[in-house]
Amino acid sequence: MSSPAPARGQQATIDPETQQRVEQFLYREADLLDTFALEEWLDLIDEDIVLSVPVRVARDPGAEESEFSPDANYLREDYEMIRERVGRLNKEYAWSENPRSRVRHVIGNVRVTAVDGDELTVRNNQHVFRSYGDTPDHDLISAQRETVLRDERGDREGRASDGEGPSGASEGDREFTILDRTVYLDHSILNTKNLTLPLL
Amino acid sequence: MAAPADADGPERVERLIEKTGAALDEGRYPLEITNDPDIYRAELKRVFGRAWVYLGHVSEFAEAGDYARRYIGEDPFILTRDERGELHAFLDSCMHRGAQFCTAESGNTSHFRCPYHGWTYKNDGSLQGMPHMAEAYQDLDEDEIRLEEAHLDTYQGLIFGRIADEGPDLETYLGEFTWYLDLLFGTTEEGMTVVGEPHRWESDHDWKTSADNFSGDSYHVLTTHQAGLETENLARGPWEELDDFPGASYLACTDRHSLGYYLSEDADTFMGYPDGIADALNSGLSDEQRELFGRSVFHFGTVFPNVSIIHGIQSGGWGGPWACIRKWNPRGPGTTETTSWWIVPTEFAGDEAFMHESHRGWESLSPGGAFESDDLTIWEGISDSGKAVTHELRDTHGNMQQGLGAMSDEVQSVDDPLHGPADVTTKGLYFDERNSRTILRAWQEMMAAGDPVGGPTDIGDDGGSDDPTVEADGGCPGGSCSAGDDPEVDE
Repeated sequence: MSSPAPARGQQATIDPETQQRVEQFLYREADLLDTFALEEWLDLIDEDIVLSVPVRVARDPGAEESEFSPDANYLREDYEMIRERVGRLNKEYAWSENPRSRVRHVIGNVRVTAVDGDELTVRNNQHVFRSYGDTPDHDLISAQRETVLRDERGDREGRASDGEGPSGASEGDREFTILDRTVYLDHSILNTKNLTLPLL
Repeated sequence: MAAPADADGPERVERLIEKTGAALDEGRYPLEITNDPDIYRAELKRVFGRAWVYLGHVSEFAEAGDYARRYIGEDPFILTRDERGELHAFLDSCMHRGAQFCTAESGNTSHFRCPYHGWTYKNDGSLQGMPHMAEAYQDLDEDEIRLEEAHLDTYQGLIFGRIADEGPDLETYLGEFTWYLDLLFGTTEEGMTVVGEPHRWESDHDWKTSADNFSGDSYHVLTTHQAGLETENLARGPWEELDDFPGASYLACTDRHSLGYYLSEDADTFMGYPDGIADALNSGLSDEQRELFGRSVFHFGTVFPNVSIIHGIQSGGWGGPWACIRKWNPRGPGTTETTSWWIVPTEFAGDEAFMHESHRGWESLSPGGAFESDDLTIWEGISDSGKAVTHELRDTHGNMQQGLGAMSDEVQSVDDPLHGPADVTTKGLYFDERNSRTILRAWQEMMAAGDPVGGPTDIGDDGGSDDPTVEADGGCPGGSCSAGDDPEVDE
């Protein structure tokens, strides 16, 4: 579930190799989203995921409440709903992405903020460029993502020792699984006509 | 030969309005009015300056000091509940030099202090004071200085504001549609409650397009939402009982407002609400209203000019039952900020399973939703081509002729008190565009009436048809205001 807001200032001590593996994973995942390879993207997601995009509110500077609504979300999806959305976007009549947006994620400021066993909490900033149809215009969607990843390297080694081995090529190659994700938008009023999955 | 010299003059707007009136008689309308800067400017004054415009729900302003920034047309108003429990709507413009003093979307405060020179107002709109008042304003009549205030009234918890001093009171403006609003917002004994903060997004479409769509257009669902309808589990819950969607649908239109709805034969359908719904029903509902709600699967409609409602179980297994209030805020020619509030019957606000499903239904029509996202693409296209000069040079007209004359013998009038006082048709939701003609006729009449009459600053004294403030629904816990420190001003 989404927390009311991303925690500030936390940073876990992490070795350079893990940092590099996390970054490479996020870059590869972004590439899948940019290219609408959503079936492949689904393979990266745990079936207990909750994907949340909470509403952001322009509050008074002195307000005690978080800027992110604890009750209201643009999206709060379980795996089943995400899967249905992926199927929906692949249909000819999904006008929201027909023709498809030209999407480009730029991901930065990747920080591992917590480590709990084989689970890593990762924060990244992102600017997602979106251009659509026969026009020079574009939308820029800015956000901070908080993602909980399970490190599959340990898991894979564990299974190997059980003598079962990786179950498939893609899973065998998978470095991490996405257990949970919240997208904290920098917009209190969205500046784009719709929020389809590849934009998150 | 060039166009006449006055082709782009102010007369053009009047000609277009007149032309729209004549074309509407034949179920047509000039496509020029869809996205035109001159028409838009006139709309702000003649439609939004004259109509009762939705501002918020009383449940959002439960405590003294609660406020939210809301809009009439493009004008930023601050809706407040004052320390005595009364609601007000003030223009966010200081009476000194016009500066804005409310930057947050919502919050709670007893005072508003202008950041420019420090003039400070109570949350009832009266002047509290200003810095160095004793030295700088020895001859000022403080009582004459009040924030510019809109007329305010509520119906079934819905708060409406009006800029114009003259015009019908709210209940008269809503007319026969109050019967349906009783059903939609006075459904249960404790009424509706807004949950959390609204979805807000800006898109490049004209406010009229979406207000029209939500007023009763199921015809578009077949094409626009084909992808959503083709997903798994299309019919779940009460939808499963409807094998003929057009046959189960009704369109109810009054003089300005419209509602579409689907009814099941089963009188205990209740949109799929949990079992407690029958006991929670408002005792003030008539037998017909209770039966209509009992058989209901889905409702959606528009109160002219720019507030819509959806209530029911979502199709495609996408959640519900759920309800939302939609407002289409004009944000310039061809641009709209949509605000969507999630509302639930108060009795069910603590039912976790219900709230989960209700949120799912709400988000399915958010900009991230499986349905809404397709609408927006199409509406933006209407607005983009609405700018075409071809429309003006060729006198291009759009078509809303469904249900006129001998166009369809499928559409039948219903004469049954079950359906309330409006003009109701079966299958009208699919094959009758009376809802579109109703809304555009209301638009045309307001546009043809010219600019509304402005009034004196102190609208409470004279000229006003009603008091600008209204008593709180259900009272207010006085003295519980959680405002910050007292402002440092002279009084």
